[in-house]
Amino acid sequence: MKDLLTFYVQSLKTSIMSTFQYRTGQAFYILGMMAEPVIYLVVWSTIANAQGGSIAGYTAGGFAAYYIIWTLVRNINIVFTPYGWEWRIQRGELSGMLLRPLHPLHYDLSFFAGMKVVMITIWLPIAVLLTLVFHPTFNATPLSVIVFVFALVGAYLIRSMLLWLLGMITFWTTRVGAIYELYFAFELLLSGRLVPLALMPGWVQKIAAFLPFQWTFQYPIEALIGQLSPVQLFEGLGMQVLWIAGSFALLRLVWHFGVRHFSSVGN
Amino acid sequence: MFRIAWLFFRVGTLNELQYRVNFLVQLLKSLITLGTGIIGLEVVFSHTTTLAGWTRPDLLAVMGVYTLMGGLINISIQPNMTQLLEDVQQGTFDYVLTKPADAQLQVSVRKVQIWSVTDILLGLGVLVYAVTQLKEGPGLLQALMFVALLIMGGLMIYSFWLIMTTGAFWVVRMENILELFQGVYQAGRWPVAIYPNWLQVGLTFIVPVAFAVTVPAEDITGRLTGATLLETLAVTVLLLALSRWFWRFGLKRYSGASS
Amino acid sequence: MTDSSAYDITVGDLYKTYFVPEREAGLKSSLKSLVRRKTSAVHAVDAISFTIEPGEVVGFLGPNGAGKTTTLKILSGLLYPTSGVVSVLGHTPSRREKDFLRQITLIMGNRNQLQWDLPALDSFELNRAIYRIPQADYRRTRDEFIELLDLQGLIKKPVRNLSLGERMKVEIAGSLLHCPRVLFLDEPTIGLDVTMQRRIREFIAAYNKRYNATVLLTSHYMADVETLCKRVLVLHHGHLLFDGNLADLSDRFAAYKTINVTLEDASVDLAAYGAVIEHEGERSKLRVSKAEAPRITARLLSECSVIDLTIEDPPIEDVIERVFAQEQPVA
Repeated sequence: MKDLLTFYVQSLKTSIMSTFQYRTGQAFYILGMMAEPVIYLVVWSTIANAQGGSIAGYTAGGFAAYYIIWTLVRNINIVFTPYGWEWRIQRGELSGMLLRPLHPLHYDLSFFAGMKVVMITIWLPIAVLLTLVFHPTFNATPLSVIVFVFALVGAYLIRSMLLWLLGMITFWTTRVGAIYELYFAFELLLSGRLVPLALMPGWVQKIAAFLPFQWTFQYPIEALIGQLSPVQLFEGLGMQVLWIAGSFALLRLVWHFGVRHFSSVGN
Repeated sequence: MFRIAWLFFRVGTLNELQYRVNFLVQLLKSLITLGTGIIGLEVVFSHTTTLAGWTRPDLLAVMGVYTLMGGLINISIQPNMTQLLEDVQQGTFDYVLTKPADAQLQVSVRKVQIWSVTDILLGLGVLVYAVTQLKEGPGLLQALMFVALLIMGGLMIYSFWLIMTTGAFWVVRMENILELFQGVYQAGRWPVAIYPNWLQVGLTFIVPVAFAVTVPAEDITGRLTGATLLETLAVTVLLLALSRWFWRFGLKRYSGASS
Repeated sequence: MTDSSAYDITVGDLYKTYFVPEREAGLKSSLKSLVRRKTSAVHAVDAISFTIEPGEVVGFLGPNGAGKTTTLKILSGLLYPTSGVVSVLGHTPSRREKDFLRQITLIMGNRNQLQWDLPALDSFELNRAIYRIPQADYRRTRDEFIELLDLQGLIKKPVRNLSLGERMKVEIAGSLLHCPRVLFLDEPTIGLDVTMQRRIREFIAAYNKRYNATVLLTSHYMADVETLCKRVLVLHHGHLLFDGNLADLSDRFAAYKTINVTLEDASVDLAAYGAVIEHEGERSKLRVSKAEAPRITARLLSECSVIDLTIEDPPIEDVIERVFAQEQPVA
């Protein structure tokens, strides 16, 4: 265990140093990404104001808060893309990883975590700017802030593993574009990324409750902006733990069969 | 000049037609993007009946134009400009200069991503549907004006993108800035009227998204004013001239620098 | 029955078979293949058996597609054999046990394992963490390699700024930091200039001596094989054609010598002395059997007016080619 920790520390260091070299590109990417939430923010604030101040419990200020924290959570959600698996296999990178006495999941988890460190330093000033422009209203409590930090970690872990599962489909077929696009479309709609789920029709919310998406996106946001009661905060953490455990178990299973297939047919 | 453009188009298309699988994948992607867009619209309209004065069929029309314009961009503008950027960065731009045709023409028409025609078809479909839902359908004049405005919008986006890419002659790593544009273009899904004023200015003049998408939509939904029309015409001409001038300026510098 | 514990590597009756769809040209067969797919078996590795003792440096020779890389991948656990026994350091490679992986390394020429944007030293630290190398051991090994490979100026520069040869040096160093007992090297010197090739060869030899490591090496450069390997395994079309000393291979197979002779008189026909493979003016090349060579040389010297005469061993490449041409295992 101690050795694994040593690896994570070392890998984080490496990742931070490496990512730092590309900080300009990162900055532009993050800036470009702002368009999406700003658009949503504007649309919903307009509607909220027209409808007498608020819809489904969100005022214009509430929407502003939601979508500003959205930008942080969106960045935390960025993990190794399933499309990268084909690339990894073709370049022999996967073989290289298989030769080492460490599960490749640790490489991705640690490397992307390092990227987040650099990302947050870029994000902070942008978030401050957005706050000045859009006047969000926050109802955060110290408890909600602490839970938020844990929720971010949970979101990161869940999404890392879910996208790993998607990526592993590449072991069996490379015609994965359709599956991935469909997955991302569902995720967009059911995670709270397009709109807070409270604005979706009831039946959609019911479906979303059974899926992991909202725990990677909406839950952390709501935790911070103060929408949840302490009970709900801890329930949410519990759900995250459940999904982490579940996706991890599934991941190990699929990985086992995936590597077997990969090693049988040659690479 | 048009003959050359046509020849390039033919070769580019024939090239792409080899990859039939691309068509299905592209169709699926376009459908998914459109689908989520429409669902987004439906969610909005489950909470309100108008958005800054625009009704549901109005906004569907905007979405149709947005998708249509996106298709035009992806068929020609985006692949060509991306290739140009790559050429300048990799040093293969010289091959373009050695050919007898005008350099700007070449780099603007040589690549064709024909499968993005799915976006055009889907966009048209949504547009036609939206138009049938309008209280007052567009007349013939409006429809003709619409086509003209589309063309102008396309030319504006082309000029804008060309100006950005020409910047690569000085600032080699332009792709970051271009990525910014991709993000900002999304703002075009909604009529510019909903954005705060300062943002509107940015979207209209700094990045001509409003002109490309909102204005044709305004025409189709009967909102177009004469002033806007003249403005659009003026800005189109201005941008075309500016991009041409900047391009030639950049070329001179490039040819001068690499001797 | 071989006792695996005495050997570092044991391979028994190894097969790696791929099933390839078979289809003849023509419309009828295309239609037929839609209904019933005929596949034929291609043996990338065909009934290979050998054992390797600790500390041996063994060369794998063979043309492209002979099965060398496939065998190395099977031995390192990357590929599952179709059938047969494989045991490396007492482990079954395909189980990919952590203990096993910590004791081996597979180095492929032209593959980058180190972080591209960072100095090699940082990647070394990462490897230390991955392989759980104790600090003291790591420092000692690292400094040893820095000296042996002359890496001092290189390890602080980002890997992307290094030349191909320099990159290969740091890659090899990085791959050996955990002092593996078994090294699989697949074309380690490919694309490098002659000096660098020699450097790397020397390093491998030094490593082998110092740590008594077992080395399996494939290469297209005979110089690699001649310098490093006493023993070679020759593969062709998946078959093991020869397993033994390099010197024996030459003796067994290409038991001939080439005599280059320059005469005063260009018109003399040397066919009586041996097979004339070249004749240009005064110069001729004769091929004679090894046993006969001294006698024929003596005859030439006494019977003709010789200006110059040299005797050459057959080049290893020719020997190997003859083994391939044979295609039957040479016991």
